Amino acid sequence: MIPLLIGISLISFFIMHLAPGDITSNEAAFNPKTSEESRQKLREMYNLDKPVIVQYGLWMKRMTTLDFGNSFASHQKPVFWQTADKDGNITKGMIQEALPITLMINILGLMITLALAVPLGIIAARKYGFWQDKSITLFNFIGFSIPGFWLSLLLMYWLGVVNNWLPISGLHSLNYESLDTWSKLKDGFSHLLLPVIIPSVTGLAGITLFVKNGMLDVFHQDYITTARAKGLSEHKVVYTHALRNALLPLITIVGLSIPSLIGGSVIAETIFAIPGMGKLFFDSVMMRDFPVVMGILTIGSALTLIGNLIADIAYAWADPRVRRGVVRD
Amino acid sequence: MKNFAFLNNKLLKRNAKVSSTFLLLFLLSSCGKPAQDATKSLLENLNKTYPSQSGGTFIDATIGEPSGLIYMVAGESAAGAISSNIFNKLLKYDKNLDLEGELAENWKISADQKTITFKLKPNLKWADGKPLTSADVLWTWQAVIDEKTGSPYASDYQLVKKAETPDALTFSVTYEQAYAPALDSWSGLQILPKHLLVNQDLHTSAFTRKPVGSSYYQLDRWTHGENIKLSRNPRSVLGQAKIDNLVTRIIPDSSAQFLELMADNIDSMGLDPIKYARIIPARPELQQKLALYKELGSGYTYMGFNLKHQPFDDVRVRHAINYAIDKQEIIDGVYLGLGIDIASPYKPGTRWSNPNLKPYPYDPAKAKALLKAAGFVDSNNDGILERDGKPFSFEILTNQNKEREKSAVLIQHRLKDVGIQVNIRAIEWASFISRFIKTGDFEVVVLGWGLGLDPDQYNIWHSSQQAPGQFNFIGYNNPTIDKLLEQGRLELNPDKRMKIYHEFAQTLLEDSPIVYLSAGYGLTAIHKRVKGIDAPAPPAGVGWNSYDWYIPEPLRRNEIAAK
Repeated sequence: MIPLLIGISLISFFIMHLAPGDITSNEAAFNPKTSEESRQKLREMYNLDKPVIVQYGLWMKRMTTLDFGNSFASHQKPVFWQTADKDGNITKGMIQEALPITLMINILGLMITLALAVPLGIIAARKYGFWQDKSITLFNFIGFSIPGFWLSLLLMYWLGVVNNWLPISGLHSLNYESLDTWSKLKDGFSHLLLPVIIPSVTGLAGITLFVKNGMLDVFHQDYITTARAKGLSEHKVVYTHALRNALLPLITIVGLSIPSLIGGSVIAETIFAIPGMGKLFFDSVMMRDFPVVMGILTIGSALTLIGNLIADIAYAWADPRVRRGVVRD
Repeated sequence: MKNFAFLNNKLLKRNAKVSSTFLLLFLLSSCGKPAQDATKSLLENLNKTYPSQSGGTFIDATIGEPSGLIYMVAGESAAGAISSNIFNKLLKYDKNLDLEGELAENWKISADQKTITFKLKPNLKWADGKPLTSADVLWTWQAVIDEKTGSPYASDYQLVKKAETPDALTFSVTYEQAYAPALDSWSGLQILPKHLLVNQDLHTSAFTRKPVGSSYYQLDRWTHGENIKLSRNPRSVLGQAKIDNLVTRIIPDSSAQFLELMADNIDSMGLDPIKYARIIPARPELQQKLALYKELGSGYTYMGFNLKHQPFDDVRVRHAINYAIDKQEIIDGVYLGLGIDIASPYKPGTRWSNPNLKPYPYDPAKAKALLKAAGFVDSNNDGILERDGKPFSFEILTNQNKEREKSAVLIQHRLKDVGIQVNIRAIEWASFISRFIKTGDFEVVVLGWGLGLDPDQYNIWHSSQQAPGQFNFIGYNNPTIDKLLEQGRLELNPDKRMKIYHEFAQTLLEDSPIVYLSAGYGLTAIHKRVKGIDAPAPPAGVGWNSYDWYIPEPLRRNEIAAK
């Protein structure tokens, strides 16, 4: 796993540095009051004048102690770990601040998606070819085809401007600090409602289809016919015998979605003004803020590898056939 | 059997969760009604007159979060917008764009024009109660030129040969030779408190996110990624502002910002021409509560030639292209009429703009004649002119900016009419700068300059400023212009200086190294609850007296219900 991580970091480091421009080609680069000498000073300060391979070496050296370094673009804010100065002022890391927000939204979204997709998939499979199946498919594909940002803006307009039911953007109200616990919960809930629900509805189609196809596959197997033949109730056939097997592939799906849990969506986060990982990554790439880009990529690839590992282990744990196969080898 | 029951139970719980969500939605919806009544009574009160009073909260929004609040390090405009409410400068521009003292009571220029002596106002205090003296000014100057600071704005201040503080209220700077933009530069440097920053790294110091200044406001709370709240500084050296709190919300998407403005959750935002000229006028409910302001900025959009490339080294070709482009069409089509055509690189109506200059009119016949004189004829009748067998075709490069892209399309169309083939390419900003501008690898660009208030444009037009990364990237080289720019920098007398820059602008217009496309208006909407705004805006802009704006009590947002 470690060599794989190093390989990934090497490739992403070089691709990032292949893109033209660096931190000095930002907005202020075109202000005639700025000078090329001061930009050159900045490049030297950040070692950007050295060959890429030397810069990679310096980065690697810091990474061996898990030091993600400081951002170029944001006043050298730490990329990951918080730092404290001698007066005890704590500066939080950029990823440290963005990660929990994105994780919360994505985990909630994934839970809602699963909670809706599993029952919908089962119904669609049981009523395969009937109107229930067709309307679920239709609903899913409408959700799948609607651009998320468009639906978001429409709902923001309808629920926030026309009716004043929900806040439009942001994570908290301005007076959040002065609220009591119950109002704080309500405030957080109402701010998160749209950003969580919209991606989970638009992402419903894939998982519903997955559950439905899994169920259909299982329904055609001999042991289901056997179960029906020996007179088990339909409920027992579906939920005890079929569902358990049909849900197995879901483990893989959930395992593979672990990296995307920290990814975040640039568009959704921009529209809803949520300071999450997607926006952070996008801005860092645009600003050529190499330490932040590399920090996110490193954490992302590490989590991808861990996610795969967890999915494999969970699969073996859930499916006796796989487990025995592993033992026999 | 056990499993079945377990799952079913879980499903039930899920159903319960879903229905409680809907219940909450309905509960929230019922809360909405009284809010609408409140809106109605607010609208009725909006047009009454109220006496000036203090209190209240003004909320606006920014697209980008500042990286820190020390402007000379942060460098971006979002940082400047907020830090200018916290820190003071030695000088500032008044309503009519004349310089006046801010921290300085007065300033004197020595007879040889090389030394400027600033006298500070007495009894100045930082927000923490410590005295603000000339030592702070000196320290700020030392910090901005320090190599470790790496300030992008250091160059103006590096010209200071010697800076002294004879006493606590006097600060004097001496330049190698007279430097006319010096006064303007001192109206741009925000003075920092030495006692809080000495021996600290300006990049990593906690001060950048927890600043202490001397101006109308001080930082109350900065919620990362969400909002920055300023509250009134009771020790402000300029007297007290009327509005208690300024909140800047960070909303990166301008559509979302506009929705917040419509829902009355923010009080002000900058608009684009479509919102200003189409969307708001079409909605009476928005017109009722929003006041719209437009003001000329000191920036403009232009089309610049790479003068090292043929045939742009031929002045007839540059003139021809200037005549062939219909600027009014661009202003009407791209800016919906919210711009004006210009003939000099200065804001129209100010001292530096030469009133006798007229923009090149749209005259395709003249353009064709000039191109013919330059040797371009359509020898193979394909509609494109040729010279020496080579067709006249070039590529317009621009960054990904909708208005510039649209302008380029209109230019493409007009130049086709006179027989020039144009291709357009739009490129992401960082690549645009480093891959094309710095290397000089372009033929024609459509870009904009956002300029300061000082007329000095040495960095843009002087022939010595052509190295990679410098701003004369079009390769302009005109000895007359060079001489005028050098004179302008040495002349501190405003009237003599004005004559120099009038002549400069005239020479520039005749030589046409760039085609001025338009100067767009800055467009702002401000909620009508905010009173005390000068309309029409004076030369210094709508916001010049924002510390005197006030929000009458009956019109204030219900702070408890504020979203």
